[in-house]
Amino acid sequence: MKGAEDLQPHIHLNRHCIKRTDPPDEGGAQSAPMSNPMSNPMGMQKHSATRISRGAAALLLVVLAWAAVLLAPATARAAAAVVTITSAQAAQATNDQFLGEQAPVPVTLPDDWSDSRPRFDGLVRYRVQFDRPPGVEPNELLALGIDRVCSNVEVFLNGQRIYSGGRMTEPVTRNCHYPQAVTLPSALLQERGNTLDLLVRGHALQRVATRQQAAGLSELRIGPQALIAERQASRTFWSVSAVQIVAILIGVLGIVMIALGWMSRQAAYFSYFGWLSLAWALMSLRVWWRDMPWDNGVIEFLFCTAFAPIVALAVQFLLSYADLRSRWIENALALQWVLLPVTLLLGGPSRLFGLASAWYVVLAIETFAVMALYLWVSWRHRRHDFWWMLAILGAACVLVVVELAVQYDVAGPPLLPLLQVGVPVLLLGIATRLLQVFARALQAAEASRNTLEARVREATAEVEHNFAQLAEMRVEQVTEKERKRIAADLHDDLGAKLLTIVHTSESERISTLAREALEEMRLSVRGLTGKPMRLADALADWRAETVLRLSQANIEADWRSPTEETEQLLPARSFVQTTRILREAVSNIIKHSGASHCKVRCAISDRQFGLTVQDNGKGIPMELDGKLDRGHGMASMKHRAKQMQGQCLMESGPGYGTVIRLTLPL
Amino acid sequence: MNNILLLEDLPEIRTWLKVLINQVFPQSQIHEAARVHDALELVSAVKFNLALCDLGLPDGSGVDVVAALRESQPECQSVVVTIHDDDDHLFPALQAGAFGYLLKEQARELIAEQLKRMSQGEPPLSPSIARRVISHFAAQTRQQERPQNMPHVALTDRENEVLLRVAKGFTLPEIGVQLNLSRHTIADYVKQIYRKLNVSSRAEAALEAQRLGLFRRN
Repeated sequence: MKGAEDLQPHIHLNRHCIKRTDPPDEGGAQSAPMSNPMSNPMGMQKHSATRISRGAAALLLVVLAWAAVLLAPATARAAAAVVTITSAQAAQATNDQFLGEQAPVPVTLPDDWSDSRPRFDGLVRYRVQFDRPPGVEPNELLALGIDRVCSNVEVFLNGQRIYSGGRMTEPVTRNCHYPQAVTLPSALLQERGNTLDLLVRGHALQRVATRQQAAGLSELRIGPQALIAERQASRTFWSVSAVQIVAILIGVLGIVMIALGWMSRQAAYFSYFGWLSLAWALMSLRVWWRDMPWDNGVIEFLFCTAFAPIVALAVQFLLSYADLRSRWIENALALQWVLLPVTLLLGGPSRLFGLASAWYVVLAIETFAVMALYLWVSWRHRRHDFWWMLAILGAACVLVVVELAVQYDVAGPPLLPLLQVGVPVLLLGIATRLLQVFARALQAAEASRNTLEARVREATAEVEHNFAQLAEMRVEQVTEKERKRIAADLHDDLGAKLLTIVHTSESERISTLAREALEEMRLSVRGLTGKPMRLADALADWRAETVLRLSQANIEADWRSPTEETEQLLPARSFVQTTRILREAVSNIIKHSGASHCKVRCAISDRQFGLTVQDNGKGIPMELDGKLDRGHGMASMKHRAKQMQGQCLMESGPGYGTVIRLTLPL
Repeated sequence: MNNILLLEDLPEIRTWLKVLINQVFPQSQIHEAARVHDALELVSAVKFNLALCDLGLPDGSGVDVVAALRESQPECQSVVVTIHDDDDHLFPALQAGAFGYLLKEQARELIAEQLKRMSQGEPPLSPSIARRVISHFAAQTRQQERPQNMPHVALTDRENEVLLRVAKGFTLPEIGVQLNLSRHTIADYVKQIYRKLNVSSRAEAALEAQRLGLFRRN
């Protein structure tokens, strides 16, 4: 501690208050139970980072990693030659005249006006004396670092104004979230006994909506300009840039969600969520928009008022997302929206903080209740949503509780705008979930659309099929009708003429020919118009005709066919052709064979049908070329069998009778 | 056979049939008609014993004349003389009350023989006609909504037996042998079958008319 002993005599006013920031002290300061965590920025960052990371936001993890890389070397170097000033002389000032009419009194930094000068609203001048920090190169540029000064500050070095943070009168520039880095001009700087005046414009706690906006001044740091600037830059990133980044992100997200909600009317929660995001993004303007065109009272009033719609949107979002809806709650939220500004207006600007704090508690309780309701419903009905939302809503609860603790001064004020960074990150988490749900719904819709398309295709195919069937039936009907017309015409014209020939011809041969022609015509018509008939029925018809004809010719008929019922069908053409073959065969027997006995046998199998006609006559004489006599119509019988993809075989010899075997496929 | 109605539109055939009828029934008086309209006028004026009706006529079907005869002169025997041998044409005529049918192109002797048999009460019955009769009565039995006053016409077991055997292709003489029945008994069964077919067909037609009437009233 040799360095510290050397340093002490050079500090005139506050030797006990200025301490050399050696590395061990820095470590000690972090763990020391200091009442104000402002002096503990790194600890605060780590703390908040841990909380936020609970929100499982990958984005933040990346940013954190980057921040860690950025901050680590700075912290190490900052240890070298930065002095921290923790006390000053302070007095209220009404104008630029230093210290005004009141005598300055010593104050400890950080100085919260709510503690040191309650209800004071205006200008305060702080004066500190300092020497050039030891261990700094003589020509090294020095700078003053102020972690927090609220709302605005002007800096004077040895009586010369060297810095101004912005407007000092209403509307006052709002620097509460902006860490300040002021370069100390070398020309004005003396080796020892420099006087640093800080003129601070601030607002009484009672007149602001949140403790973060209440007037105060943090510790002062003097050191090499590079170190101070770097430190202030990194702090600016966290307290301003981070807020801006997430605000822009959720702003854009909000617009996307509003668009989604507008497109899918059923999912109202998209709209609620979108407006919630957008409202939050707008509200975080307060953190980084320094020169708003209104004075403090208006801004703080507007800020506090904005919480009513935001909470209303959050409540509506959660209810809507849980598929709940209550007119009662909606009306209550609308009423609250009116009630909150009215109470603030009635209370007046000097009671803003108290009223706002009370409202915050009410709003927080509402939010917690709806969150609990949502989680309960989600646990009951939508378990897949539960854990994700539990994590996010839990983190949100922690954030709100911390913020309330800060507001009620239970916990010291954080250097970071916790809520302004944390809530958007959580909103991003919820948005991720919503988009996932949306994507799934889209997929499901796509799938059901495909199913529907398939069904429509099926139905279309069925309709087409039915139509084709109908058309086929229609064609069949028309064909049938046409065939009947042809059949009728044939009977009426050709039939009548043939009939006339049959009964008027002198020649027996011609009338026989005409009679045969008539029979042929009739069979042709039947082949044309007839429907398939049961094989059993066909056999019955053949039997009746054959037996009748044979018996009329005094030939004994022996017909045996299977007695069991078969359901096989015979096409009309096959029936007609077989009838002709059989008729021809019987005619041959009657006319030529001289037989006294005729045997007919039928055989039916799955694939084919056989008919055998055998007589005991004199047989068919052979022609010279070895074929059976064509006069017996053998050729036409064979031809007819061939037309039906069957065959007709004849065996005959003089004195042995004739056997005709007909085989047809079924 | 005193009065015979001959309904035929072709002059040559009519002449030929007239000659044939004169041979079979020498004492009869033949009333000729070429159109349904003329035949119906004759039916209302003359009492016939036998009617030979062609089916396809210029102004309608001979079935109408058969039905009119059945209605006004039940004792007159109607025989269909036609060029159509298919039961699609014959069956309606039989339902209307025809007692048998002759195919025009058959040889003179054959027609004369059949005509003689029919006049003696032996009507023909082909397997396909038998099948139609069977399915007709089967459909009648299935009808549940038959009104109470509608006569229920049913075939006897014997009649059914004869029908079934005809449908299977057995000739009437064969069935007579199989059932050990005389030729006349079998012929009586067939006559009964024709008669019942006519009665049940008329009942069916009446029912149908009633149904159509109901529909019209609504």
